[in-house]
Amino acid sequence: MNTLTATTSGPSRLSRVWSLAGAETRLLGRNRTAVVNSIVLPLLLVAAIPVLGVGGGDVAFGPSLLVSEVGITLVFLTYYNLVTTYVARREDLVLQRMRTGELTGTEVLAATAVPTVVITIGQLVVVALGVTLLGEWSAPADGVLPLIAVLGGVVLMVLLAAASTSFTRTPEAAQITTLPIVLVSTALSGLLFPLSALPDSLASLARWFPLSPIVELLQLGLAGRTWQGQPVGDVSVWTWAVFPMVLLTGWIVVGAIAARRGFRWAPRR
Amino acid sequence: MQPATAPPSTHTAAPPAIEVTDLRRSYGDFEAVRGMSFEVHPGEVLALLGVNGAGKTSALEVLEGLAPASGGTVRLLGLDPVADRARVRPHLGVLLQSSGLPGDLTTVETLRTWAGTLTAPRPVEEALEQVGLTGRADVRVRSLSGGERRRLDLALSLLGRPSVVVLDEPTTGLDPESRRQVWGLVRGLVDDGAAVLLTTHHLEEAEELADRVAVMRAGQIVLAGTQAEIAETQPATIRFALDDDVPQPPVPAGVRVGGTGRRIEWQTSTLQPVLAELLAWAAANGVVLGTLLARAGSLEQAFLAVADGAHPTVTPEENR
Repeated sequence: MNTLTATTSGPSRLSRVWSLAGAETRLLGRNRTAVVNSIVLPLLLVAAIPVLGVGGGDVAFGPSLLVSEVGITLVFLTYYNLVTTYVARREDLVLQRMRTGELTGTEVLAATAVPTVVITIGQLVVVALGVTLLGEWSAPADGVLPLIAVLGGVVLMVLLAAASTSFTRTPEAAQITTLPIVLVSTALSGLLFPLSALPDSLASLARWFPLSPIVELLQLGLAGRTWQGQPVGDVSVWTWAVFPMVLLTGWIVVGAIAARRGFRWAPRR
Repeated sequence: MQPATAPPSTHTAAPPAIEVTDLRRSYGDFEAVRGMSFEVHPGEVLALLGVNGAGKTSALEVLEGLAPASGGTVRLLGLDPVADRARVRPHLGVLLQSSGLPGDLTTVETLRTWAGTLTAPRPVEEALEQVGLTGRADVRVRSLSGGERRRLDLALSLLGRPSVVVLDEPTTGLDPESRRQVWGLVRGLVDDGAAVLLTTHHLEEAEELADRVAVMRAGQIVLAGTQAEIAETQPATIRFALDDDVPQPPVPAGVRVGGTGRRIEWQTSTLQPVLAELLAWAAANGVVLGTLLARAGSLEQAFLAVADGAHPTVTPEENR
């Protein structure tokens, strides 16, 4: 019993999480399918974006490409990958095993997400460097908003992925269960075409979807354009950023609650 | 002996490492654990026996802090496994009945990863040696045999030098040699002062390891005590065969007669005098008792009696 006093010592929380995160990264590297899904497929999608007709015109192409890249990477890589990873770890009984140790449940889920998040950030850096090298870059209207969008977006995707595991019984089923967010949110987020292209009522509704505030913040920060595709003009981008930031925060809270309530650590028997 | 709760053990000096009081756990309408109480003290092994579905794993999951109780209290080292999780976990070693480890990590990578999450892990080399996996250190988990994987799992459970150890069917699926190795490990833990709670299907395992045994049925402990105490709840058996021309021996008082034809089985709660009477009769009449066997009540008998619902402490009402 006297040993109970010594429990706060030992490695820091961060170093403990890092131990598991390192193992997860190693695992990802050893899984060829996952490597292809995480790296090659999203890059192909990015390569296809010019074909989809985004960008072009008299403005530099880079900011628009980067907006699309962030949105697509968050959904197809961060969100989709993590749903399959969490479900696979749950069905293999790995999560339940991890939960018997000293790490908390949140730490286990965070550590499991690390490799995916690292690849997400890595891809964004590569694309940002790419457009700069191609000379398709223009100075962002604001440097902080894109960072908020990416960080908030990553957090939201991790939470939505954890929440989505509650209705995903197998890793394969993720192809279907992720469709609501992948399709609806991607199509109606302003990612592939501006929301202003939609009828007014639909556009106003679409602005509330989870990915929309992320795209809105990116467009404000990188391209200096509002959700309706208009130049911000004389008003500060931060005035326009209030709504999407509040909305993104709201979605993060909703995601956290859904993840907390819906997440199961063991397969349903 | 009290039938419904495990009696206090002989290790009364130290406070209990595990203390469970009137534990209940429900899944919807179904109550899987229906009022269990027991204690396990440092340096002691309690074996929880029961057929599948008796509620062993359901109860253990509450102790492990993986599931909430619907009633009652659980204390590990005087702490709540959920509310005081951060203080309990460094001292708790858990082996789940079935659990998974990532197949693409090697044995030693798995141990290093786990060690990295612990407060005071033992050296990984020591852990490998402990479970006899030193030669398999660089093999991927997916290529290990079922028994090797189980031993690796056990090594993880013991990696943090726990003082409270909960093992859910630790040797299921192990070959006899690995099983003995695990038994040795458990004895080592106990010698070092750990409190061990284990569930098992193998009565031999309980006999080998347990200081005390609790037999569960339908979510309750229906029999508990030392092995000798539990065996004593069961009648002794005397079996013998008689030649066709031999008359039946007189049946002593309190003996239940069974068997078929010339093969006779007696059940008695007083083995020695009944046996003496039988032998005296045989000697006086010059009778040979063929294939004579006399056996005291056993843990196995008690276990089977409980499994069959025959044990008297389970009333029909409790049985549903």
